[in-house]
Amino acid sequence: MKRNSGWVKVVGAAVLEVLWVIGLKHADTPWEWLITVIAIAASFSVMISASKTLPVGTVYSVFAGLGSAGTVLADTLFFGEPFKLMTMILVLLLLTGVIGLKMVTPDNTVKEVS
Amino acid sequence: MAWLFLVIAGLFEMYGVTMISQLHKKRSWQGVVKLFLGFGGSFVLLSLAMKNLPMGTAYAVWTGIGASGGAFLGMLLHGEARDLRRIACILMILGAAVGLKVIA
Repeated sequence: MKRNSGWVKVVGAAVLEVLWVIGLKHADTPWEWLITVIAIAASFSVMISASKTLPVGTVYSVFAGLGSAGTVLADTLFFGEPFKLMTMILVLLLLTGVIGLKMVTPDNTVKEVS
Repeated sequence: MAWLFLVIAGLFEMYGVTMISQLHKKRSWQGVVKLFLGFGGSFVLLSLAMKNLPMGTAYAVWTGIGASGGAFLGMLLHGEARDLRRIACILMILGAAVGLKVIA
């Protein structure tokens, strides 16, 4: 049960992450900037909370994966960015590097927390 | 200019992450200020970079610089394992980032 709620938090943190990335690019009014800043803080704190019950490396990998996929999708779906196959391939390659890096790095933080 | 902002944003993020581990060892208000400067600077620069770059590309490169830079600093300063797989991942991230720059 504890693990399940941990994964719900990871997905929630990634949604917030996509929200603030959209805000950083598209926010114009003070209210939109306020929502962006709140989303940044909320995304961080939800992710930290998730990594208390789940391995940090795994949490970060899933989070980075969902965040990148989400921003690229939002770009093409909502903001009329043209779909470029080569960009997708390179973003995937970059993401593979980030996830690989987190997976092969020993997780020290878990020991401190548990 | 956008790419320069992006690289500096990544450096600010690395600084912020270093401050997190500093704060884990010893809490101080100077450390907290540095932490906010690090991440604050990083977000401002990312925002500037995104004015001229697609959101997805900018975000991916920003994450990549943060992650590979963190691992690089860990190896350089904190004696973390210079595992061949980690070095391969860092090179993959850098290669992809350069590729994104070239096709932009």
